[in-house]
Amino acid sequence: MTRRPVRLAVDIGGTFVDAMELDTRTNRVRFRKASTTPARPADGVLAAITALGTDLSEVELFIHGTTLGLNAVLERRGGRTGIITNDGFRDVFLIGRGNVPNDHMYDFQYERPESLVQRRFTAGVRGRLDHRGRVVEELDPDSVRAAARALVVDQQVTSIAICFLHSFLDPSHEQEAARLIREEFPEVSLSLSTDIVREYREYERTSTTVLEAYIRPIFERYVDELEAGLAERGFTGRFLIMRSGGGSMTSAVAKTSPTHTVLSGPAGGIVGAAYLAAELGRDNLLTFDIGGTSLDACVIERGTPVAAYEAQLEHFPLLIPTYDIRTIGAGGGSIAWLDRGLLKVGPHSAGADPGPVCYGRGGTRPTVTDAAVVLGYVDPDRFLAGTMGLHDEAARDAVREQLAEPLGLSVEAAAAGVFDVLLARTVGAVRQITVERGHDPRQFSLLAFGGAGPLLAPLLAREMGIGEVIVPFAPSGFSAWGMLSADIVNDFSRTVMATLDDADLTELDQLFKAVEAEAVASLVAQGVPAGQAVLERQFELRYLGQEHSLMVTVGGTLDRDAVRTAFDELHRSRYGHTMGNPLQILNLRVRGIGRTDRPELGTRPRGDGDPAQALLAHRDAYDVGRRAVVPFAVYDRSALDAGDTFAGPALVDEGTSTTVVPSGQRVTVDDHGHLLVTLEDVA
Amino acid sequence: MTTLDGARVEVVRSYLLSAAEEMRATLIRTSFNPVIYEVHDFGLSIYDPDLRLVAEATGLTFFLGANDHSLAKGVEYVGRDNLHRGDVVLLNYPYWNAAHAYDATLFAPVFRPDPADADADGDLVGFLCVRAHWMDLGAKDPGYVLDSTDMHQEGLIFPGTKVVSRGEPVREIHELIRFNSRMPDAVLGDLHAQIAALRTGERRLLEIVEKFGRPTVDAAVDRIIADGEARARAALAALPQGSWTAEDWVDDDGITDDPVKMRVTVTIADGTFTVDFAGSAPATRGPINMPFGATEAICKVILKSLTSPDEPSNAGTVAPLEVRAEPGTLFHAVYPQPTFTLWTGIVAVELILKALAQGMPDRLPASSGGDVPGFMMVGLHPDTGQMFAVSNNDLVGWGGTPDHDGMDAATHVSGSTGRGTPIEVLEARTGMFFERVEIRTDSGGAGRFRGGCGLRRDIRFVSAGEFLSVIKKTKSAPWALDGGLSPEPNRVVVFPGTDREARVSTKRTPVEAGDRVTLLTAGGGGHGDPRRRDPESVRRDVAEGYVSATAAREVYGVDLDG
Repeated sequence: MTRRPVRLAVDIGGTFVDAMELDTRTNRVRFRKASTTPARPADGVLAAITALGTDLSEVELFIHGTTLGLNAVLERRGGRTGIITNDGFRDVFLIGRGNVPNDHMYDFQYERPESLVQRRFTAGVRGRLDHRGRVVEELDPDSVRAAARALVVDQQVTSIAICFLHSFLDPSHEQEAARLIREEFPEVSLSLSTDIVREYREYERTSTTVLEAYIRPIFERYVDELEAGLAERGFTGRFLIMRSGGGSMTSAVAKTSPTHTVLSGPAGGIVGAAYLAAELGRDNLLTFDIGGTSLDACVIERGTPVAAYEAQLEHFPLLIPTYDIRTIGAGGGSIAWLDRGLLKVGPHSAGADPGPVCYGRGGTRPTVTDAAVVLGYVDPDRFLAGTMGLHDEAARDAVREQLAEPLGLSVEAAAAGVFDVLLARTVGAVRQITVERGHDPRQFSLLAFGGAGPLLAPLLAREMGIGEVIVPFAPSGFSAWGMLSADIVNDFSRTVMATLDDADLTELDQLFKAVEAEAVASLVAQGVPAGQAVLERQFELRYLGQEHSLMVTVGGTLDRDAVRTAFDELHRSRYGHTMGNPLQILNLRVRGIGRTDRPELGTRPRGDGDPAQALLAHRDAYDVGRRAVVPFAVYDRSALDAGDTFAGPALVDEGTSTTVVPSGQRVTVDDHGHLLVTLEDVA
Repeated sequence: MTTLDGARVEVVRSYLLSAAEEMRATLIRTSFNPVIYEVHDFGLSIYDPDLRLVAEATGLTFFLGANDHSLAKGVEYVGRDNLHRGDVVLLNYPYWNAAHAYDATLFAPVFRPDPADADADGDLVGFLCVRAHWMDLGAKDPGYVLDSTDMHQEGLIFPGTKVVSRGEPVREIHELIRFNSRMPDAVLGDLHAQIAALRTGERRLLEIVEKFGRPTVDAAVDRIIADGEARARAALAALPQGSWTAEDWVDDDGITDDPVKMRVTVTIADGTFTVDFAGSAPATRGPINMPFGATEAICKVILKSLTSPDEPSNAGTVAPLEVRAEPGTLFHAVYPQPTFTLWTGIVAVELILKALAQGMPDRLPASSGGDVPGFMMVGLHPDTGQMFAVSNNDLVGWGGTPDHDGMDAATHVSGSTGRGTPIEVLEARTGMFFERVEIRTDSGGAGRFRGGCGLRRDIRFVSAGEFLSVIKKTKSAPWALDGGLSPEPNRVVVFPGTDREARVSTKRTPVEAGDRVTLLTAGGGGHGDPRRRDPESVRRDVAEGYVSATAAREVYGVDLDG
């Protein structure tokens, strides 16, 4: 077999499809954007590949990030889904935990969002386990068949979620029910809770299973279409799909567990960030990804992105491993407005259509992007590489009339206020994710990407005293680049619920080994040679009596004292105290990893340190350092050499994004062409 | 005086709210007690040096309003001069704490150290307050107290006692708590979690003052509060003006079976929201009396929901409120009147809304199921032999509104962010086994927009212990609005189908393995004439099992065969 030299990553976002190609012979990276095609998303992917001009027969690895599953839920376009559960408990999913979302705590007329499952699509069957997994009542096959007929024949559901109480302790009832249903209705898609998550709490487990059942039919169809489209164009390599919790999986695995893709949107960027953190020797990194409508931040701690084991989709809980990403509903398109004289930014967004006022597509309300135009950060002539005219006067008028005049401020001061308010909210979110984990944000570097990341990141760094901002090349395509470095990963867990002191370590070791065997089998099925599978063991622990838990990585040999010490240390660093209580092991987790060859970082020619060759012009812009409009030097990023260094106020332009460097900050270009923006001592 | 523009104020507000949210995250992640980490039964707030509420974190709305009262009383008792940098004070004296003795309020002054004089307290920057429900402080019965007749049966009392003094834990007090609690580990764990939350808040508040400077923070706080007040008064002015009276009944006082009368007159006039409980019963012998601060707190929740439901409270948003209740009455308990069962406050939330609804039926929903149907089991765990006391606040239907149906099976409006405890947790931690938890057909009040449905919960006990039902509205039905119909009231049946079968409300019932209890929680009241309901909605409700075919025909006039 001849080795195919090209790797291709395609990331579908809200408005654009980003395609990034890596030729491993030359280590050259090429990048293109195309518009999304919501009606048939596969078309947009293929169009982006065509635009990039990649020869698919040369592609060894095609890595794909998609928000298809997420959108199916948000737009209620999933399959007709039913639930089979225990008799007497058919409403577990509909009721949830009964609570109203926090931001509606004073609303006595709150309405739940439309459910994914109609009540008539739910059915209970006889059979019950208790809290230790003992059979209280055997599963009644007739009631399973009757329930399946009611859902499939009478209600025409095409996908069924099966979730029984306490099934995480023993999956056999779920498996038996699935077998019985398959006998009669082989065409119906079945999702078993215990295939997805072996953890306690019935609503959260049911919700996870329902989400999978709901998106699976359309996800399967999509992947089939894309596989066919790629094959038609000569693709014979491996097709991987990004996972929400990092790494990737083969398209075949993704079709059977699509839930793992739903929050994969921001995952590419974080995978890439972790890789950069290792390559650049930055242990602690904060990612700062700003697009049109939202801002995502995540902590990379000692080289590893912080994981979470419970996420939410709308208000539906999802028990899958994800990155612990803090999202603020504010981005370039967020609308700035006055509420009784107080300046607010978001949560409403002008989106891509009509978009900010400066797009000239009918938007009338000023946005963050319009404020950036007023402040002189966006070059009207080079905006989006000159492909799109910029209506800067209209933006200025909107800011003046709707914000500056009512506030009694100059138009620049009002626009700067928009940035201040957005930054204050951002500071809160970034602080929460670092301080919650016992860190000082000043010990981190900030990695800025997404179209608007480099616009705001140096300002955020200044506000928080963060010493260094790293701006990668082509920040708006960084997520796609990150995918190129994604490993094949799978996660498995088992609920244990025993105290560390009482647990039988030999038994636990055997359980680990059994779960590891599953992980290896899954990796091998995805084309990873058994010898190359890397396995990580973790315990999810808490002090007995506590609810929330912490993850501790454990070695191949289980040692009570070592586990205890590691947990106590982590608890102290996170919360400031330790307890004498026994430790309870909640879950054990195994992550199986099949390593991918990482793309090498490119290198820039070394210059003389003087960036004069890249200087395009000087332009007036607002300097937050002096709180005044001053001349900024404008540099062309593609002409900067390694070792070039210059002080703010400066703007670095690269067509799809602009890095804003206020006075008091300095840029140095590293050997790979990254911009490193540091704080200078202000005299 | 420093004047600030509208952007700067928002920046400072963001920092303050973020500090409150960090306190909340610390509390949830370190607490030991499911009522905190599962039910989210807590309230965290930040105050300025004048004890004005500046920011709050999401929590039980009821608790948030009560913090204001407790902090003022606690600071008065301890004395400002006796509060020093690093102090943390515990207060649970019900009449000051605006709650029962198991709701422990911890508060701390925040001082900015003077660099020139490290020993001095420095500049007082503000106060922090965190309230959370504790599992046990040595009251007459484990778990929950349903029939005390004076305060001294309700647990160990701290009138404003330092648990941390100048940064050093006061070991004697911690030990006093340990020896007075049936569940000392959980209680001390939660004490530490609350202290950790205060420490987080202290660090953040000091950073904020450092960053912006005291004059800017003070000016921003003034503006935030003034804005909250202006907003609340403007919203009040836009509501119908007038005065409306309503009456309702609490099932009993826990000692006798006699219903206890509540009466309220709500007046909206001249930018003021007045809630007067004149005409309510005198204080009862049993523990359903409300400390006055708790009465104020529920009124704050209502005012907030009417005027600015979509943003956090501050001293300004509740400034238009005036609450009146004579000392020694149901809504203003005085020493030593018992106050443990705070359920009167829950039922009174709906009472105040009932009065208001007369003036604005086109703006308000009908009554929800009318109460929080709480239950708890206390006993020795069959697997471990350890004592447990685990509770759940059950769900009710919400009232039909002027333009949509009420929610089915949801947490009561008085603390709507609270979460039901998972069945798998209840079964693992108690001696209860659940045979059914299901939405009840026809339990929502009929209406053009129907009330949400309530639940049926069938419990079988697998070990001996005590079952506590905590519910105070089973004898009268939730009210409907504008021609809608009332649903059946809540019902708790112990030992159903046996010769011991009985309907109970608030009661501690000894149970053996094999015994059963059934809870039927009420749906919400209907809004508007059911005959005016869209027939398609009726058909859908029948298909979904929310409404029976019989009710569709007889109540809604929709014949499904037609």
